[in-house]
Amino acid sequence: MSIRVVMADDEELARRVLREHLNTESDIEIVAECSNGFEAVKAVNELAPDLVFLDVQMPKLDGFEVIELIDSDAAVVFVTAYDQYAMRAFDAAAVDYLLKPYSADRFRASLERVRVRLREAKPAASVPKDLKLASRAPGDHVERIVVKDGPKVHVIPAGKLDYAEAQDDYVALRSEGRLWLKQQTISSLESALDPRRFIRLHRSYLVNVERIARIDANTKDTWLAVLTDGTKIPVSRGGYARFREIVGGE
Amino acid sequence: MHPVLQNWRRFGLWMGAWIPLGAILILVARLSGHLTFFEAMAVMTPAIIVMAFVCLSPFYVCRSLPLRSAPREKILINHLAAAFILTGGVMLVGRFAASLLTPSFHRLDERFGTAVPVLALVVLMIYFVAVALHYAALELEASRRNEILAREAQLKALKAQVNPHFLFNSLNSISALTTIDAGQAREMCVRLADFLRTSLRLGERVTVSFAEEMALMKMYLDVEQVRFGGRLRMKQDIDPACSDCDMPALLIQPLVENAVKHGIAMMAEGGEIVLAGTRDHDWLRFSITNPYDPEAPSTGRNGLGLRNIRDRLESRYGGSARMEIKVEERLYSVILTLPAGKRK
Repeated sequence: MSIRVVMADDEELARRVLREHLNTESDIEIVAECSNGFEAVKAVNELAPDLVFLDVQMPKLDGFEVIELIDSDAAVVFVTAYDQYAMRAFDAAAVDYLLKPYSADRFRASLERVRVRLREAKPAASVPKDLKLASRAPGDHVERIVVKDGPKVHVIPAGKLDYAEAQDDYVALRSEGRLWLKQQTISSLESALDPRRFIRLHRSYLVNVERIARIDANTKDTWLAVLTDGTKIPVSRGGYARFREIVGGE
Repeated sequence: MHPVLQNWRRFGLWMGAWIPLGAILILVARLSGHLTFFEAMAVMTPAIIVMAFVCLSPFYVCRSLPLRSAPREKILINHLAAAFILTGGVMLVGRFAASLLTPSFHRLDERFGTAVPVLALVVLMIYFVAVALHYAALELEASRRNEILAREAQLKALKAQVNPHFLFNSLNSISALTTIDAGQAREMCVRLADFLRTSLRLGERVTVSFAEEMALMKMYLDVEQVRFGGRLRMKQDIDPACSDCDMPALLIQPLVENAVKHGIAMMAEGGEIVLAGTRDHDWLRFSITNPYDPEAPSTGRNGLGLRNIRDRLESRYGGSARMEIKVEERLYSVILTLPAGKRK
């Protein structure tokens, strides 16, 4: 049984080195070569490969965003000239992290790791999606949120997100008059976004500070946030305290 | 603490300077007060020693009221007040010495009294000279500090110069080419070496000609061309009159790197980098424009490179050079306007 591989790198020459190394292995079958993040997500979701080689900096989507958007349990190996993403890569459950340029020996060692990983029972190896999403250095916040829109990918810049509402295993993201669903918990979304710009006003709501027009008292211990477009969002006691802390007391 | 009081050598020099100044004061006291030379010296010596220290005090006032930024009237009032008070103090010391010595010298305090107005005027003048000297010294120190800052900015630019990721990616391209096309692999090694050698050579200098800087940029793009192939295209529109203009070394090199890293590398289909240079009498205008994808994933741009350029322009040209950044629909431009000094 061969290992089916998808590779994604925007540089033609980088893909060629990879292909050359892979061609020397008898149990490898390259099923797709992609030159940007969109293509990579599409290829992985359609072809369900066993192994994905991912560059970090690519047009459209970076390597980490690609991981967020793929459904499969494929083993991921990052291939990049930057060493500063290694921690994040392993947090995102990458099997290996290859630094360009790499030697044939180093490449074979990496493939060996992948083979071991693929032989193991898959469920044990798979990492909860939330952990993948939360993999980020402290103080490093995402500037955009990527969501799957059928076969396509939609990018929501953080500044254009009005609020997020928890819905079971999903979050509903409100942006520019539309609603997007993403498989992620609201807590992991909260930790990914800049806490000075997004406040958890309620267990189920994360709100963009700039969208809050005012906060009205509702009952004794609850409040209602009115957004600039008129939407009303419940505010818990804790949420109100967080709001006061960020916006400053009135 | 005052710099003069910080080491013995400086202190010795300062006190030494008071020997001729003291002699002048003694002479003034002798002439306008009908004192003998010996009397004048006896009365004035304590006052002169006090003055040597009093004339160090403008340091603190000068430092807290810089000539450039503090309001004029505030500077004037503060120094005048200090001058009158301190002159009064010095005169009191003189009077006190005279009254102590009166028993030994006939009517000394009376004779000294007639010298006081002229003496006070001279002391006041000396104090004002001390104020002026302090301002001059502070100014000198500020300009020296600026020079050090400029040097540091240059060093920082140099360090940022050979970007390690550029090197690693180039080496990766070479590693790919070795089996695909050995001839091109060798060519790539040569281009990389040319670029590195030239950037080291230019980096050692403070200024280079515009033509030299452009040649370096061309070498850089030649290397990146191998990596990006058809995705990287370049257009140049440079007025030949720009060539011999003098400019800080490696000033615009980081701009090309940005154009590739944040522009071309983030576009699936690539794009064209446009370099333009014009010379208009005393001004050199250079612009670099690259297409960019406003929806591209973050490439960790933190504006450090641009701030560095701005700092270097500021330290070299003061306010007269400009850097503008223009962001249009899908085009990002940086425009530099520098005084067009000719290379000697």
